Order: sequence, then structure tokens, then C-alpha cells
Amino acid sequence: MRPGLGEGSPVATEVILKVEGLCKSFAGIPVLRDVSLDVKRNSVVGIVGENGAGKSTLFNVISGIVPPDRGRIRFRDKEIRLSDYRQANLLGISRVFQEQALIPNVAVYANLLLSHENYFVRFGQVLDKHRMIEVAQRVVDGFGLEIDVRERTGNYDFSVRQSIEIARACLVPREVLGIETPVVLLDEPTAALSRSAEEALFRLIRKIKLHGSVVFVSHRLGEVLSISDVIYVLRDGRVVASVDPARTDERMLHRLMVGRERDADYYHEDRQADVANQPVVFAVSDFSLTNAYEAVSLEVRKGEIFGVGGLLDSGKSQLGRGMAGLQPPDRGVVRFGGSEIRRPTLRSLMAKGLAYVPAERLAQGLIVSFPIAWNVSLAGGQDMFSTYCGYWKRSAEEQASQHYMEELNIRAPGGPYTRCTALSGGNQQKVVLAKWLCRSPRVMILDNPTRGIDAGAKEEVYRVIRRLTADGVAIVLITDELLELIGMANRIAVMRGGRISAVIEAPPGRKPTESQLVALMVGS
Amino acid sequence: MSEDGVATAEWRRRVDLGLAMSEGLPIVVVASLCAFFALASDSFFTLRNLTALSSQASTLLMVCTGATFVILMGSIDLSVGAIVLLVGSVVVELMNALGLGIAALAVGTVLGMLLGLINGIIFAWGAIPSFVVTLGSLSVFSGLAQELLQGRAIEYRSVAFDNLAIGQFIPHLPNIAVVAIAMWAVMVFVCFNTRFGRYMYVIGGGEAVARTSGVPVSRYKVYAFMLSGAMAGLAGTLAVARVGAAGPTLGSELLLNSLAAIVVGGTSLSGGEGGMHRTLLGVLIITLLDNGLNLMGVGEYVQMVVKGAVVISAVLVSQDRTKLSIVK
Repeated sequence: MRPGLGEGSPVATEVILKVEGLCKSFAGIPVLRDVSLDVKRNSVVGIVGENGAGKSTLFNVISGIVPPDRGRIRFRDKEIRLSDYRQANLLGISRVFQEQALIPNVAVYANLLLSHENYFVRFGQVLDKHRMIEVAQRVVDGFGLEIDVRERTGNYDFSVRQSIEIARACLVPREVLGIETPVVLLDEPTAALSRSAEEALFRLIRKIKLHGSVVFVSHRLGEVLSISDVIYVLRDGRVVASVDPARTDERMLHRLMVGRERDADYYHEDRQADVANQPVVFAVSDFSLTNAYEAVSLEVRKGEIFGVGGLLDSGKSQLGRGMAGLQPPDRGVVRFGGSEIRRPTLRSLMAKGLAYVPAERLAQGLIVSFPIAWNVSLAGGQDMFSTYCGYWKRSAEEQASQHYMEELNIRAPGGPYTRCTALSGGNQQKVVLAKWLCRSPRVMILDNPTRGIDAGAKEEVYRVIRRLTADGVAIVLITDELLELIGMANRIAVMRGGRISAVIEAPPGRKPTESQLVALMVGS
Repeated sequence: MSEDGVATAEWRRRVDLGLAMSEGLPIVVVASLCAFFALASDSFFTLRNLTALSSQASTLLMVCTGATFVILMGSIDLSVGAIVLLVGSVVVELMNALGLGIAALAVGTVLGMLLGLINGIIFAWGAIPSFVVTLGSLSVFSGLAQELLQGRAIEYRSVAFDNLAIGQFIPHLPNIAVVAIAMWAVMVFVCFNTRFGRYMYVIGGGEAVARTSGVPVSRYKVYAFMLSGAMAGLAGTLAVARVGAAGPTLGSELLLNSLAAIVVGGTSLSGGEGGMHRTLLGVLIITLLDNGLNLMGVGEYVQMVVKGAVVISAVLVSQDRTKLSIVK
């Protein structure tokens, strides 16, 4: 343990936040099981785990957003019961959210002091702007940021805004509330940042350590190892290990996270077919969309899984939307179903047998307030589940739902008319798949099909994908998860800055490694 | 993370309770209003009054059957009252000029549909919020109608048309009420058994999801406004037939009453929740209030106060509050 700076070394070992036996279930599904952890003053606590391991829920509980079912939180030797985030914030627990929580069209100082305006009120209602600006400037200066707090927040780019948010979480408690050593909960953005933004982030974390403690979630194991004082590994809602970074390595951490090393069985690699002699069923050439992707050409063969990987800003998701005709490209041609299509629309491609599963399940994949059956019939509403005259075939809809509930093993308490709010993320995602599978597609574009679902459901989704390819369906798999990309794909296209920078063969037994792919993604 | 979006057991109980409330509450309100007015006024439960009441409810019901679809898909149609006025005025002028008889019904409906088409096209392809579009067309349509009427009430001359609305093919039930109930029944069928009805729910429940599933969202938005306009046109024509003339105040109360009836019935303004069957109850509640308070001799202004309070409390009690994280 390195001594905290600015404080005497004796206090550096003091436990400031103690979490004991936290349990939390959603809709009967346990998400946190008996989670305990200690955060010492002026230390960095790393938390790692797969998607769905419970990291975000743990943060939600510690920051008062979600009440725990059981367990205690002790902060500065007092048990605290939080009713909302504001209360946590006033006590000195602040949080940097995954999605940026700054309002772009107001000045930086207003964002920095948001929800603390009551400390700057004169004559009852008038805000003392000068003092706000002065305090806000102290906050950014204290963090060594070169920012004019009177500037509009949206004028700064992503990584600067992230610094502003971290500065707010870290220094506002001291400057405004008089709390010397806050605990900052830092959720790293889920998808990959650019290399320079990432380095900036880690510099910031080192800075926070001077002022308080950091609990920090990241997928980048190497960096977690180099920056943390202690690392907790979460798996399926449980703390499976707390490790000393000096005595562990990436491999071991990964094994602890997934409970195994990258496992060929998990991705059914033995069922990956050799498709070299199969015909090309879907191809795009010279696909371009301003500020998204440029001159992309690719061909997918019958029964092939064509993986697309890349950083967050690589343009891979937009490419998916473009190929599905949802956001047509400026330029380029789709060759599919025996014709060349210049301005593809989803409806024209669907008619030829295309399916598209979006990354944002709740915003675009399914209507959670609706029953399963209503969601299953969404994509087939024009032809399969209604007559030419527009009569709705409810029995066909119910039969299809029942069929796919059995086939995909969708567990729902009330049959096909269960509302999707009552389903787990994995079952919801299977409903999204069913919506398209009932159309018997020949090509499926899947954008992060296993995002935010538990390990068991993931494995089921992989099995479905393998079965589809055995039936000759061509799959374009766009994903942020490297292991999934490597494990599933026949070929992997790596996108960088909107272009395909490399296409790698990934036959079973000769799969590329994660570090090979990362190197291609960041271009180093 | 996904589990945050999943309702807890506690939430689900509250949602179920909320649903039960919003399903059952309008029926309870209708029953209690009937009981209350029957006790408070001798003339309420008379055949004569009930006949009058059914006739009063008819225009509102027809307007609401169309507008419910618009609300169901998460939009709003503020122009229905103005369409009733404009169609009514034009139909009267046409009848007097061309000697239209019953054919006026078809003319009125088609005219209303065209006005709805204008709303729909501006809304769906101009990508302007429906509130703004119909606020504007409300003003345009009313202005055109008032220009046509020049402040007068214009009578029509056609016995057949007269009979159409106030005649009683079924004893004690005016024909206008028969038409309204028939249209409502047709719309309930459309709501639950057709692609159009389902797509209204889908667009209201998740427009982005509908688009990524290949639902032709814009086209169906236009259809909804066309239907809303057509029903308002039909209602306007029959309202003229009932009153015997088109005057400057025709349809003036319909804007607020239609929204109130639909919402009190239990169709959510945020879209995707509710249904046509409930709108009948909402219409009954609003009409019962008007009729009963009139019989009790309550002044016009006090009636406004009572009606407003009933609308707010009905929604307050039945609203599914777990979905109201943000209310704009």
C-alpha cells in the first residue's frame, strides 16, 4: 500500500467505505449475492467482471439509486441508508456515470455545480454567478484542467467533458460541501475509447487518488492492474476474488472473471463450418457515409459468420445500420437476393430475407411494455401476421410466439402474453431474435447480440447463431466483445476510423488472439 | 445494465394495481354519476332525457373514435373541433347550392379525411410535432369556416337530411346515436383486429422499435390523421343535421371534450396504452356530467370547474405512475 499524498500515512489504511453482504434481485433474478468490499482512504479499488456480473447494480446500490434487498453500507464508520443519489452525493459519495451526465448547452460552471445551487443563493432566489464561476474555476484548476468554466460545455470534446465530470465528482464535494476525502465511483464507458482518451482517463484516476478514493469499473485489465491498489472480481453477482495487483496478471484475472479461459466449447467452435466454397449471398461495395464510414466493401458467404470489430468510434454500428437500410449510405451498393440495390431501405431488404438486431435492445429492439407475442409479430406485421386486407391474424401470432418460446427456451411466467418487462435481459434478447427468426431470414446483421445478458443466455444465443449458420444463414456479427468476435467468426474485419483496416481468417484452432485484434483496432 | 430496466416485484404489483384501477375505474365513475344524478334530479332517469343524452353524446363519440387512434400512437389532434366546424359549414353551403341530400354524409366524410390528410402529411413527412401541426391547422380551419359563415348560422333545406339525424328508426334512439355506436363498434374491431390498430399501439409504444422492425411508420401516421379527420367530418355533417344549421360555435367544445373523454377513458397521452373500448366510457362520463349538471341547474361556469376537476382526478387515480419517470 502506497501512502496517500497530502495525508499522513497512518490514515491511508483507514477503511472509509465498507460494504457488507449486499444482496439484490430484480424480478426474482439475483443480481448481487452477498457482496462485501472495503475501500480505503486515498486508494484505487478496481472492479472487474463480465457484462451482467452485477457491477452497475453494485454502483447503483452504493450511490443510493437502487435500494439493496439485504446488506449494510458503512461510510466513515457510520451505517448509512440512502434513499437517492443526492443523499449519497451530500455525504461524499459521488459518481461518474457511464453515459455522460452533463448538459451540453449550459456553461461548464453550471454543470459543475448542478444541484448545489442552493449554496450560491443571494437574496433568497438570485444565484451568485461570480462566486459560482470562482468556485468552479477552483475545481478545474485544482484538477489541472485548462478550461474556461464560462464556456458552453458542448464546445469541449468527449474526453474533456469526461475530465469535467470526474473533476465534479472529485472536487466539488470539497469545494462546496467541505468534504475532504470523497469516494468517487467511476464507471468506465462500456465501449472502447481512443488510445489518447484512455490515457487521459487513467491520468485522471491517479489525480483523484490525491483527493479521495476511487472505486473503478473497467474492462481493460492491463490498466486496472497497473493503477489499482486492490482488485475485486465479480462473477454472476458474487465477489469471487479480491486480488493484489502486484501478485496477479491479466490471464489470471480473466480466468477469475469468466470462470474459465476462452473456451472453444462456449462458442461451439467445432460447429464452425468451412465456407470457402459456398456462394456469396450478401455483399456491399464502396459503402460510404459522411463522418461514419468510408469505402467499405465486404462479402458474406452462405453459412458464414462475418465478424466486425473496432473501437467505439470506428463506425461499425453505423455500418450495420447502413447495411440494414435504416440509415442509408451516401454512396454504395448492396448486392443481395439477385439484385443490386443503390438506396437500400430496411423494408426492401426485409422482403428479400434480411434481418437486423440492433445493439440497443430497450430503445430499438423490443417494446418492453408490450407482451411477448406483440413483439414477436413486429417484423412480420406487414405480411405474415395480417392478411392483404389488413386483418390481424392473432392465432398465427400466438402460434409463432409459442413455437419460438419453446425453441429458444424463453422463460416467461404467463405464456405468450407476458409483458416483456417481466423478462430477464437474456429472455428479452431472445424475443428480439424470435421477431426475426419467424421470417426465416437468409442474412442476419447482429449488432452486439449478447450485450448485457448473463452468461447462460449468451451461450444459448451462440447456439442459436451456430444452428442458423448450419441452415445456411449468413451472419454479420458486429460486436464490442473481443472473445465473442474471435470465438464465433469465420472471418474478422477490423474497422478503424470508418474503414476496414484488415480482414483476418479465423478458422477453428487457428483463431487470432485478443492482443492481435486490439493492435489492429488502435493501429499501433 | 439491463437489470435496471427490469421491474422489481414491488413495481409489478403496483403496475398490476394501476392497470386494474385504470380498467375498472371509468365504469365505476359512470355508474356513480348515473346514481348521483338520478337521486339529485327527477328528470334524469326519464326516457326523454336519456334520448336527449344519447343524441348529445353522439357527436363527441364519433369525433373521439377517430382521435383515439391518434392519441394511441402518442400524437395529438387538436384540430378535430375545427374540422367539425369547417366541414359543417361547407356541407351546409353545398347542400343549399347543389341540393345534396343524404349524399352530404359522404361529402362531409371525404372532406374531413382530406383535412386530416393535410395534417398527417405535414406531421409525418415535415417531422413537426403533431401538437404544433394541429394547433396551426386548428386556427386555419376555424378561420376558413368563420370566413364562410360571416358570423351567421346558415340553415339547410332537406327533409331527408333532417330525418337522418333526429329521426328515430329505433324508437327513442335517435339515428345519430345509432350511427355513432355503430362507428364505435367498427372502430373497436379495427383497434383490436387489424394491422392498422396494432400499428397504432406499436408506434405509440416504441416508434424507434417499430422503425427498426420495418413498420412503415410514416404512412400509418398519415392514415391515423386521415381517419381522425374523416370521423370528425362525419360527426360535423351529422351535427349540422341534428341542429339544423351550421353556426359559428359548432364544435367549439369538442377540442377539450374529446381529449378529456379519451384520457378519462384510460388511453394514455404518452401512447401505446389504452384502447377504443374505453373511449365510450370516457365519452359517457363527459356527457353525463354536462347533462346532469344542466338538469341540476348548475351554472355553466361551475360546470367547467367540475368537469376539469373530474378529468384531473380520474387521470391522477388511474395513471400508471411507475412509467412516469419524466413528465413533460
